[in-house]
Amino acid sequence: MWIERKVLAQEIPAAAALDTRQLCEVLAALGFPVDGVAALEGTEALDVDITANRGDAMSHRGIARELAAKLQQPLAPIATGTVSEGAALVPVRLEAEACPIYATAVLALGEGITPEAVQSFLRALEASPKRLPAVDASNELLLRYGHPTHAFDADAIHGAVTVRWAKAAETLVTLDGVTRTLTERDLVIADEAGPIALAGVMGGDRTKVTEATRRVLLESAWFEPKVVRATARRHSLHTDASHRFGRGADPAMARVARDLLVARLQAWCQAKLIGAWTSGAVPAPAAPVNLDLTLLARVAGEAVPLEAAQEALARLGCTVTVAGDRLCVAPPTWRHDLAIAEDLAEEVLRLRGYEHIPSVLPPMEGPPEHLAPAYLLRQRVARRLAQLGFHQTVTYGFISPEADALFAPPDNPAAGRTLANPLGYEYSVLRASLLPSLKATAEQNLRQGSRQIKLFELAPTYRSTPAGPREQMALAAVWGGVLGGEDYLSPARAVLEADLAGLARDLDLPGLPTVHRLAEGLFGFEVELDALPRPQDRIIPVFRPFSRFPSVERDLSLLVDLGQSYADLHQAMAAALPAESLLELRCVDVFRHKSLPEGQQAWLLRMRFQAERTLVGDEVDGWVSAALAAAESLGAKLRA
Amino acid sequence: MDQLLPPEIVEAGQTFPAALAACGDLDALLRLKGAFVGREASHATRLMELLKTAPKEQKRELGAAINGLKQQWEEGLKVRQAELEAAKRKLGALAASWDPALPPPQPPRGALHPLNRLMDRLVDVFRPMGFHVEEGPEVETEAHNFDGLNIPEDHPAKASSDTFYLAAHPELLLRTHTSPVQVRTLLRVAPDLAARGGIRFLAPGRVYRKDEIDPTHSPMFHQVEGMLVGHGIGMQHLKGTLEYALRALFGPDTEIRLRPSYFPFVEPGCEVDVSCPLCGAKGCRVCKGSGWVEILGAGLIHPNVLTYAGIDPHEWSGWAFGMGVERMAMMLSQTPDLRLFFENDQRFLKAMGGLD
Repeated sequence: MWIERKVLAQEIPAAAALDTRQLCEVLAALGFPVDGVAALEGTEALDVDITANRGDAMSHRGIARELAAKLQQPLAPIATGTVSEGAALVPVRLEAEACPIYATAVLALGEGITPEAVQSFLRALEASPKRLPAVDASNELLLRYGHPTHAFDADAIHGAVTVRWAKAAETLVTLDGVTRTLTERDLVIADEAGPIALAGVMGGDRTKVTEATRRVLLESAWFEPKVVRATARRHSLHTDASHRFGRGADPAMARVARDLLVARLQAWCQAKLIGAWTSGAVPAPAAPVNLDLTLLARVAGEAVPLEAAQEALARLGCTVTVAGDRLCVAPPTWRHDLAIAEDLAEEVLRLRGYEHIPSVLPPMEGPPEHLAPAYLLRQRVARRLAQLGFHQTVTYGFISPEADALFAPPDNPAAGRTLANPLGYEYSVLRASLLPSLKATAEQNLRQGSRQIKLFELAPTYRSTPAGPREQMALAAVWGGVLGGEDYLSPARAVLEADLAGLARDLDLPGLPTVHRLAEGLFGFEVELDALPRPQDRIIPVFRPFSRFPSVERDLSLLVDLGQSYADLHQAMAAALPAESLLELRCVDVFRHKSLPEGQQAWLLRMRFQAERTLVGDEVDGWVSAALAAAESLGAKLRA
Repeated sequence: MDQLLPPEIVEAGQTFPAALAACGDLDALLRLKGAFVGREASHATRLMELLKTAPKEQKRELGAAINGLKQQWEEGLKVRQAELEAAKRKLGALAASWDPALPPPQPPRGALHPLNRLMDRLVDVFRPMGFHVEEGPEVETEAHNFDGLNIPEDHPAKASSDTFYLAAHPELLLRTHTSPVQVRTLLRVAPDLAARGGIRFLAPGRVYRKDEIDPTHSPMFHQVEGMLVGHGIGMQHLKGTLEYALRALFGPDTEIRLRPSYFPFVEPGCEVDVSCPLCGAKGCRVCKGSGWVEILGAGLIHPNVLTYAGIDPHEWSGWAFGMGVERMAMMLSQTPDLRLFFENDQRFLKAMGGLD
């Protein structure tokens, strides 16, 4: 809220002596940080950030009250004229508990307009003056004292005024010209012809004050915050009035604000008071709150003398009585946020200044807990992938239905994962897979000129269940573009599916995940995190002896059909070899060339043998012959 | 003397030095050697034949001349051979030499996402104080996201203009903060809180709010929640812990400042400022000249939050804080646009991320 310095100084003269920086620091220390300062003709306005619990501070008077308590300086008295109340000129009936008090007055307006000083105050606070004294005075009062009031054209009101719940489907054209259809939970001010205002939110068009208005009926009431908030939300009608009533106005201000309004109209346009009266009364205050000194000391981090606490709360307007080692505190009528002992402790600390809170490390009361295995696993996998040259991405959890459909299995319908109120269609489904997001990110990077793209993400994916979307932490990796070719020793080649298979092996995935071809030269896979092997419990595995005898290596170059399954061949050859001596059997080269017989390729199979003795050539030759025979049984031939 | 020799040999003899110099490699030298002093059909063998058939009286003189020539040729060839061999060795050595300025093969180097790195760093900072990591789902219930946190029934954050809800499950939403992890964790540990000796944890994670995407807003962002419950916990413990953690993060000279503020789930509540880590609190663009940067919101756990979880607020108390990860990352890196963190341009990730 904008606070104008000159008007603030009228409420608390001591504030005039502070420079802007000091004032901002005091306000910040009180919990009201200043977001900006605007220089105006001859003065300044501060953009003060007021938290939602402090409706009482949303005015110049409210901020002045806080400064007065902190600086221990007096507030200027509120200059109300003396309005003597009399009999009701118009019956005002309060039919709902949500409006316990309704002060009003009827005045005949005379000649005159809003004083220039007030107009410039309103302009400074971004409230445009209407040049109708009754309207401008009401706005000025709201900004200055925080109490919303309203002026009706008294001659437009038919008969008695009632504060009541609206009838279903009743309508009201509000001041903004919109026809509102009301519900039974909307509180209205009504005359005998129907609603004339949405209580605490906005007046009605039919009874609004215009330049033709001769007599006004003023309203200065108090409405239940919850009711005002609900109506403002229901009608999407958030006004200065609903903002203040919604956060809790001061019921004791109802009469005072009415008197201030009367005095302004008398002064500004020679208005004549015809009558003033009040229906209802200020509601009984909430029960006092006890503040235990032990609790205060616990919260503050050190003992706070009873007198100091008592004095601080009294400065904030609380009525404090001492009962043993506790304070019995009745908050002032404008504070609705002091409901429990902790609230009061905060007030004491706030006035002392949070800078006085000591700094202490909390003692350990029990053993620290371990990091969860799933968390550690994610950390380990992410680090391994980063070391392998992959970049971790963070993409949105919601994607378009089309993107989602690319990788969502049929048993995971999008309907159960769709948002009711997405930011847009393209962000409407909680993704079943991370691959659509990674594919889009990879393609974007390739368009940006990346030679090689290596990305991974660790994030939840969603599965529709009757109880709602079930989250499953997943790992997805994509790899594409050109590998190597960036230095004189590494030849360039395209990234292939086999590279993803190698990555899966590096991560110790059990088996090969499905490698998807996401686009030309772009591949990816996705696995659930649970599929990744857990870190071992043992710090170091059990020792397994290994042979110290030399190993023997033999290669076999085989001509095989193009359709030959490597797994079958490998299995057949391994079965023919002595398991206890076979260290390794692997294909180390695949050669496909027009020089080979049509329909055939050459595989170079490498075997490594080792035993607990020195292997002799004849023995190894025998094994190799057996392996060759096994390969030949599948149609392979020794390549000449 | 020369008249005793055939003129073509005399001529060859005269061109020998030039021919020798023209030999660029050992092969050429070998050919020249063959032509002059080779065992067959060389100038030398022809001269030897000439000597055989020469008249006796000329033999002595001719023999001396021939020897002189042969010696001259052999000497020249030897010297040239040594030169050529030295040059070859030198080239061989050069060919085997390595120029360290040539770009070497580079082992691949990827990067963790800068937001994840920052969250990991925070976990590292809190680990020595006995904090572990708690996590919760991103799809949450209204009860965990709002009700358990003392957020009033009619709070505006609950509106569909602020919070994403699931179409098929109106009671489910995307969590708007990491605070529901507080509720879940407190509910879980409440029965044996005394045996555990309270609890202290961090909850890093992704959260969602219905904000349009622009340079300072994103519908998905990250928070790190911190919570501690114990006996006799007050604001001094919050201040002590944060002072330790923020000094570990930003350096030992870092100062912190608590200012009163309001969040429904804490009482008292505060905002925490840190002396500007970029300018050393001298005043810069990032701290807007004030020397302070707002870093997180915190406070003592509201008794209603403890009560909701089944923990007696008369016996137990604690503190909680919540920190915006993007905000801190942007501040520290001076990244001008929040969207860069979600665009995942490899150049950005490589530059802003790291391996640990």
